Amino acid sequence: MDGSTLPAVAEELLREIKRAFQQTSGGRDTFSSRLKFIFGPAAVPALDLVDQRSVTRVRSPSGRTLYQVLGSSGKLYTCYSSCHFCTCPAFGFSVLQKSESLLCKHILAVYLSQAMGACQELSVSEEQLTNILLAEEEDEG
Amino acid sequence: LCRGGLAERLCRLQNRERSAISFWRHQCISDDKIPSDKSGVLIVKILEIFEECTIQVAICQQLEQSPVTLSPEDAVINAEEPILKVLFTRETAAHLKSRPQDVIHIYPPWQKLLLQNADVPVILNTYFSQKVLLSEHSEAREKTYGLTKMLIRKNIISLAQTFRLDDLDDKLHQDPSDNQVACSPQIGNNGDSKQHPLALSAVNDSLLEMVESQGAVGWREVQVRVVIQRVYCLPAREGYRSHTQGNKPLLSNGGMFCRLCLLVQDAYGMFSEVQLQSLSSTDDIEQYCRRWEGKSCCLAGMKILQRTTRGRALGLFSLIDSLWPPVVPVKVPGQSQDSEMMTTNLPPPSFCYILTVQSGEIHVEVDEEEQISNLYQPPTVHGLKEILRIDGCNERCSFWAQVLYRRLQTKHSVPIDQRDILLFVTDSTLQNVVHGIPKVVAVSVTASCVLSVEIREALGAGSRLVFFKDALWGNGRIICVERTVLLLQKPLLCSAAGADLSELTGPVRLDELDSATQANSVCALRGTVVGVDESTAFSWPTCDRCGNGKLELCPQDRELLYCSQCSEVVTTPVLKMQLEVFLSCPSRSQSTVKVKVWHEISVALFVLLTMLLFLQTYEVQSVLGKEVGLLNCYVHSVTSHPNCVALEEIVLL
Repeated sequence: MDGSTLPAVAEELLREIKRAFQQTSGGRDTFSSRLKFIFGPAAVPALDLVDQRSVTRVRSPSGRTLYQVLGSSGKLYTCYSSCHFCTCPAFGFSVLQKSESLLCKHILAVYLSQAMGACQELSVSEEQLTNILLAEEEDEG
Repeated sequence: LCRGGLAERLCRLQNRERSAISFWRHQCISDDKIPSDKSGVLIVKILEIFEECTIQVAICQQLEQSPVTLSPEDAVINAEEPILKVLFTRETAAHLKSRPQDVIHIYPPWQKLLLQNADVPVILNTYFSQKVLLSEHSEAREKTYGLTKMLIRKNIISLAQTFRLDDLDDKLHQDPSDNQVACSPQIGNNGDSKQHPLALSAVNDSLLEMVESQGAVGWREVQVRVVIQRVYCLPAREGYRSHTQGNKPLLSNGGMFCRLCLLVQDAYGMFSEVQLQSLSSTDDIEQYCRRWEGKSCCLAGMKILQRTTRGRALGLFSLIDSLWPPVVPVKVPGQSQDSEMMTTNLPPPSFCYILTVQSGEIHVEVDEEEQISNLYQPPTVHGLKEILRIDGCNERCSFWAQVLYRRLQTKHSVPIDQRDILLFVTDSTLQNVVHGIPKVVAVSVTASCVLSVEIREALGAGSRLVFFKDALWGNGRIICVERTVLLLQKPLLCSAAGADLSELTGPVRLDELDSATQANSVCALRGTVVGVDESTAFSWPTCDRCGNGKLELCPQDRELLYCSQCSEVVTTPVLKMQLEVFLSCPSRSQSTVKVKVWHEISVALFVLLTMLLFLQTYEVQSVLGKEVGLLNCYVHSVTSHPNCVALEEIVLL
C-alpha cells in the first residue's frame, strides 16, 4: 500500500463531525471518542478551545484569511488557512521535527470550530492583516 | 475546562473508557482463555504494519472464523478475504506487540470509518484488542520475528495540505460570515411566522442531553420537545427580585410576585420544572392550564437554575411521583430506539432540573393547535371519601368539592393575601354516608399556594364548587401548597377514578358535636342553655350600609355616629351583640360547652335577650332551660382539664 493513511482518516473524521453537528446531537459522544482516538492528547485541549470560542477567522477585503487562536496561556497563535501551519512551538516540535502528531491543538481547534460553526469573525484592513503575518516573523527572528 | 462543554464531556468519556479498558485487559490476563462471547468481535490477521504519528496502522485481512482450527499451512492469504486498515493507539500497540501474521481479536465497541475515495474501510477505537496465539507455534514465531523493525512513516502530511470539510457535491455554499448552524424546519410552530433571531437546529427529544451540553458550542440553538404535564404558579420570594428585574409580576396581590411554571416531561420520561418569566399580568392561571396542559412544546436556550434532588424538594417530587410511572412507554437512553421501550420497573426520578428562560426572547413555543400528547397524565379526581382513605404521606390528590366555610388566619402582622386560609369542604361522597367518616373535611391553604384574585373572592362569597388540583394529603390532613392550583371550573380532561361528582342535593349536614370533635373543625350542635357568661357579653353599633363595626363619634356632633369607611354619618346603626352561653349537649355530656353566639344570626334565641339586656333588667333565669336547635359552629378549642369545648356559631356559605 502506498501513501499514508492518517491524514485521510483525519479529514474524513472532521467532515463527519461537521455533518453530525448539523443533525441531532445523538452522535456527539461517538464522534468525541473517535476524535480522542485519532488525535490523542490534542483532542481535549482543542475542544476546550472550541468551548471557549477561542478561534477567530480574520479576513481582509482582498479575501485573504487566517485564523487566530487564543491559547490557554493567553498568547495568540496564528494558523494559516491555506496551508498546514501553526506558529505555536508544539507544532514546530511535535509535527515538524518529531512527526509525532498530525497537528497541534490549535489547528485542530480551527477545524473543529469550522465544523461546528463556532468561529468568531473579524474583518480587518489589508495593512492589519499584513502586520499580523509579518509580526509573527519578527517574533521568531 | 468549561463546565458542561465538549471538552469536559470528552474528559468524562475518556475516563470511563480508560477504566473499562484496564478492567477488560485485566480480565483477559486473568482469564487466560478466549472469552466465549463472540458477538461483534472482529477477527483480523495482520499483513503489514506501519506507524504514522504514533498511531499504528495495520493492513489486515478479515477472517471469518477463529484460526485456532486452521493449521499454519492454511494461513495463506486468500485474495477474496476482505482487507481492512486497522488503527491502534500507541498504548494498545505496546500492549499487543503485534507482528505480521498475528491474529488479533478486536472486541466491540470498535468503529468503522469509510473514506471517500478509498475502498478499504478503516477500523477505529480498537482499545479492546487481544492477540490470539496459535499455541503450538508461539515460541517459534517469537524467535523468528523477534527484532523486526517496524516501518515508521514520517512526513505523512505535507504542509501544503489542508483538510477540506465541505463535501464536493455539497450544493449549499457555506457563507463564511454566517457563523451559525443552518436552520432546519421547526416542528411545533405556532402557526404565526415569527422571525426567530436564533438559527435553531433540529429538535431534540432529551432534556438531559440539552442540560449536559449547556455551555458548549451550539447549545443555545438546541431545541427540546417536551410535554407539559402541569401548569402552576410559584410565589417568588422577595430575594428573587434581583433575578427578575424588568419582570412584571403575574398576579401581584399586594406585593407578592408570582411566576408561571411548567412541569414538563421528555420522551425519556425525565421531568423538568421550567420557570417562565411572566408573560402577561392579565391572564389568569386557569386559562393557561386549559390551553397548555397536555400539549407539546419546544424549549430552547434554557438556563439551568438548579439541579434539585428528592430530599431537597419534597413538594416538587410529590408531584412528580403522582405522574409516575408514565402512561406510555418511554425511551431508554443509550439504546437503539427501534428496540422495545420500557415503562414498567423504571424507578421514579431522583433528580430534576429547574430551568428558567433567558431574559429577552421567548424560548418556549407551545403548540396549542396540536392534540393532547399521549404522555400527558391528567389529574385523577377522587371523591373525598377515597382521599381520606389513602394510605401514605405526601400524596398529591385532586378533587372537586363544595366550600362551606372559610376562616382566615388571625395573625395581623401578615397581609391578608398572604395569610393561611382554612376551608371546610364537602362533596357527595361524604354527605351521603351514614357514619364512620366525617361529613366535612378541613383543607388548609398555605400562603405558598398561589390564589388568583378571582378565586379569593369566590371563596369568600356564596357556596362554590372548587376544583383542587394536586393538593397534598398526609397525616390526616389535606393541604394546598406550592404547585396546588385551585380552579373554579372542572378541567376538561381529568380521569375520575370512580368518584361521584354529582352536585349536592339537599342541605349540607355537619357532624354533630361529640367526644371525638377536635379543635379547628366545624360541627353542629343542639342543647339546653345552662348558663350565660355575663362578663363577655357586649353589644356595639355597626354601620347599616357597610357593616363597619368600628364607628366613631362625629367630630361635629358628639351624639352622632360616623362611619369612616362610608365617610358619612350613621343615622340608624345596627346593633350587634355577642354573648357566650353555656350549653348542655347530650352528644357530649361530659364537657362544658361554651358557644359564642351572635345577635344577627340566632334571632330566635336573642329576641328575648336583646330586650332584656337593653332594658338591663334581664334575668338569667328566663333564658335558662331554653332549647337551642341545631347550630353550626366552629370549634375554637377543646381542652381536657377542665373538660371544655369553646365554639363559635358560624354561617355556612
